[in-house]
Amino acid sequence: MRRLIALVALLTVVPGGVAFGAELDELLSESQAASYSAEQIISCSTPDGERDALVRIEQVGDELRVTSSVSDDVEVISGSGEWTLTRGEEQVVHANVDSGEATAEDLYTVEELGAVEYLGRASMAYLLIREGEPRAELVIDEETGAVVEAVTLTIGNEVYCERRFVSLDTDPPEITEPTAAAGETPPTLIETSTLPEEVGGFELLDQYVDEDGVRFAYYSDGFFSFAVFETPTAVALPGAELVELASGPYSRIFTAGQVTYVWETLDYGVALVGDLPPDMHEAVLAEMPHPQDRGLFRRWWRALFG
Amino acid sequence: MSHPSELISAYLDGELHDSESSQLVDHLAGCGRCSAELGEMQRVRSAVRSLPVLELPVGIVPEADPVVVPLRRHKGMWAGVAAAVVAAVIAIAAIVTPEPGSLTIEEMNSRFGARASLDPAFGPAKVVVPPLVGE
Repeated sequence: MRRLIALVALLTVVPGGVAFGAELDELLSESQAASYSAEQIISCSTPDGERDALVRIEQVGDELRVTSSVSDDVEVISGSGEWTLTRGEEQVVHANVDSGEATAEDLYTVEELGAVEYLGRASMAYLLIREGEPRAELVIDEETGAVVEAVTLTIGNEVYCERRFVSLDTDPPEITEPTAAAGETPPTLIETSTLPEEVGGFELLDQYVDEDGVRFAYYSDGFFSFAVFETPTAVALPGAELVELASGPYSRIFTAGQVTYVWETLDYGVALVGDLPPDMHEAVLAEMPHPQDRGLFRRWWRALFG
Repeated sequence: MSHPSELISAYLDGELHDSESSQLVDHLAGCGRCSAELGEMQRVRSAVRSLPVLELPVGIVPEADPVVVPLRRHKGMWAGVAAAVVAAVIAIAAIVTPEPGSLTIEEMNSRFGARASLDPAFGPAKVVVPPLVGE
């Protein structure tokens, strides 16, 4: 079984503000309280090609279970600060955030697009606008409050990812609590960081360091979010594409709805994981520590001694 | 002169100078022990020389092409070889040795997903897909 990891969120670096506009906050709160089972298609147009997935979702309260419809032995249960991936009977990886629910300043306004019918059910459509640009369309089932469709947009109204329910069952499913990982060592708060406190509208909300010396920082703009990891060693990203951006060379992988960038500085391996649309990537990466070539000897040294 | 056995052997091999040979002959004339030793050496040598010469059967010793071995020594060669070996060991170790504590994409997804689940926007609109499955 893989190493199990626990995280404890301890502090907000940026003082927490009011999260969302009242209407969006209300909509999303209602969505999180919904109970249902559904199948969802995720289809994303990325710079590296199409990324699609078909998943089964079961939600009870704020617990969300996601299983692959292709391989039933893979399952993720997340919610309330926990995330557990299992394959078959084996818990592959687990993370836990005990506290700290810092939210970003409200960057979005919500425009009501009107009533629609989705899967034969009464629903309401909304447009999320960030700094004058449409960034997402949401369709919310009126009875359950579930977000049955979410389309995220790049600047200029290009579709980045579509998430659509293709079936919806409103009978409350049963979700078994994932087994807590044993022997977890709580991480340590770090109060200072070389990372920017704000970048491209994203606020640095929490940051921690774990027992392996891995630093974790979480950014959000209120809807999209990403995490930045700084590790004493390199980050493994097999199968990644090598891309050259203005700030340097990066390894990159798109999955359905998520992007991962990996690079190295002289002192750290760095990774960025998030769901932000591609047009935001360069601006965010430009404000992060830039890639630096360590040279052959440094690579050998780190490979041998960490 | 005491009993010079080495000189007797050299005398039989014809390796002594004239003056040394004269001195040894004078000594042998007055020393029974050395005279006896000289006689014994002469008998052994005669016996060895009388042994028949045997021809080895063909095939016992394989024929080999002559190899020219240079007598010059390259002083820097071994240092270069040693450096190459050390470099090879380091390179192989760097490839084989796993990096301690290296993050995997699953671990990063896990930590990101855990924190994102506390966001107000968490839900089907931000589903974190199990990596590399169903895609």
